[in-house]
Amino acid sequence: MDLALFFQLVVNGLMSGGIYALIASGFTLILGVIQVFNFAQGQFYMLGAYVTFGVVTSLGLPYPVGVLAALAAMFLLGVLFHFVIVQWTLPHGFFHTMLVTVAFSTMVGQASFLTFAADQGLVDPVIPGTFNVRGITLNNGKLLVIGGAIVVMVALYYFMRTKIGTAMLAAAENKEVAQLQGINAKRIFWVTMAVGSGLCGVAGSLIVPVLSATNSMGMNAFIRSMLVVLIGGTGSMSGALLAAFLVGIVESFAFQYVGQLSLVAIFAFAAVLLFFRPGGLLGKPLPIPGQ
Amino acid sequence: MSRAAIIGTAALVAIVIVLPWLINPYVLQVLILTVSYSMLGLAFAFTLRVGLPRFDVAAWWGVGAYTTAMLMLKGGISFWLTLPIGGAIAIMLGWVIFKIVIPRGMMVFLLAGMVLTMATQQIFASLPFFGGWSGTGVIPLPKLGPITFADKKAVYFLGLVILAVNLLVYRAFSTSRIGRAWTAIGSSLGLASSIGVDVVRYRMANVLIGNFFIAVAGSYLVASTLVAIPTMFTFTNSINVMMYVIVGGIAHSLAGPIIGALVVTFIPEYLRMAKEYEPVVTSAAIILIIIFIPRGILGLTIPAFIQRRLEAARIRRKD
Repeated sequence: MDLALFFQLVVNGLMSGGIYALIASGFTLILGVIQVFNFAQGQFYMLGAYVTFGVVTSLGLPYPVGVLAALAAMFLLGVLFHFVIVQWTLPHGFFHTMLVTVAFSTMVGQASFLTFAADQGLVDPVIPGTFNVRGITLNNGKLLVIGGAIVVMVALYYFMRTKIGTAMLAAAENKEVAQLQGINAKRIFWVTMAVGSGLCGVAGSLIVPVLSATNSMGMNAFIRSMLVVLIGGTGSMSGALLAAFLVGIVESFAFQYVGQLSLVAIFAFAAVLLFFRPGGLLGKPLPIPGQ
Repeated sequence: MSRAAIIGTAALVAIVIVLPWLINPYVLQVLILTVSYSMLGLAFAFTLRVGLPRFDVAAWWGVGAYTTAMLMLKGGISFWLTLPIGGAIAIMLGWVIFKIVIPRGMMVFLLAGMVLTMATQQIFASLPFFGGWSGTGVIPLPKLGPITFADKKAVYFLGLVILAVNLLVYRAFSTSRIGRAWTAIGSSLGLASSIGVDVVRYRMANVLIGNFFIAVAGSYLVASTLVAIPTMFTFTNSINVMMYVIVGGIAHSLAGPIIGALVVTFIPEYLRMAKEYEPVVTSAAIILIIIFIPRGILGLTIPAFIQRRLEAARIRRKD
């Protein structure tokens, strides 16, 4: 294989890996803290992409404003989703809560299909052109996505070390004991939901200058994020990060050689990893219901 | 059984038998689909008893359907033989996959099921052997003595027979020794393994029995559609199965999925006037049902005082 193609495939893989990492860490956070299997995660990603597209293309505002708008909009939608729907089903158990997120995801998917069906949601490249090193040509836009994803992950890392982030981890560990320490579990729940959705919104706005926003992007990314969570170990944030980049790169190479069967290839990859590392790639995971 | 229960059962059986003559062919087609969905719902509820939610349903459904279609088209084998063959293939493939998945716990099982559904559909669609996205060719009509299943009413009754077999087998299992072990695993994993129940083996047995019946449901689906297409076995199908079980009533593992499948399949049919907004309205209806009737539709029929006692028993079990 020639070197240029190799590096392009690696960059493609890292780019989608960064996106999967953001979606999967939001998912893991919500699963660990509120114990909600949030199925709507992919749709938040899709909506984030459309919000950025709308702000940048229709309103003509600069791209960073679009990213912030997507973050704010998905943050608010996450809060609304929690207060209007999710909190009422929490007492009925894991499966009921999961099912309302499924129904919500279908609802959002169809509503956005009716609203944006005709729109080709591609934002103009933020940094146009390419990046050349020794004859290897890389797309600037794709490198920007990788950089953006890393910045958001670092921000998340520091957020989890603030007072509210620590409270989240405490609530994930044991809700009752956390409440005894004076942590307001109700507030932690909606903040977690909002942060998880906001991460997806940012992921969507990062990808939209490179890949156009479509209706199916939410579900497709969600399935791959599930694989990431599966490989990284359910509940482990750092494991999810590593797994996301692995899945992204494997998928990128598999797509080059077997085309549409790349999903099967990453599935086989996940099965092999799961066989040798049953507890996830690294670290101690957050406690998850029903293990 | 009390007299009222006997009369009620007799009336229900009579309605189910007369029904195909009362409705138009389109509704009958939807009803046949619902019978196949009910079998999936039963399998989901069956595996939920050991605490595992399965989202690989559409995968095994597709395995059954494709086995029947391919064997009938390429091998010229009788439809009736393909039913157990499809089931056996689903069990064998399932054994290999679940050998890795089941020991890793509930969450891995759940996620792996979702991925499996997507991967199976992708395999059927990408390999030219299975006919790609346009599906297998049209299979010959199944025959049984003088009956050919060209008439949809005959297909409907075939479905009822298979559904009845499903119900009898699941019922027999629920009262058996292995059934009690499953219930023990479902109510407390730690307690069950501490008294010597081999959780992984019992779960495996349960899941593989479910696999067999799901594959049979897939073969039955092909008897009605006469063709297997990858788009019939989608991720959405797998997710909907969970909806049947919860909307019907999660505590009723036999009647719940059937009622749930009927309700969830026919809500969209009655919302046709909403046109393209139909999925939005249906999902909103499902959300409202889950929030306001968490025990499901069958949960409504149980008198309040029995429900209170069940609830008390459930809380005691949790302690």
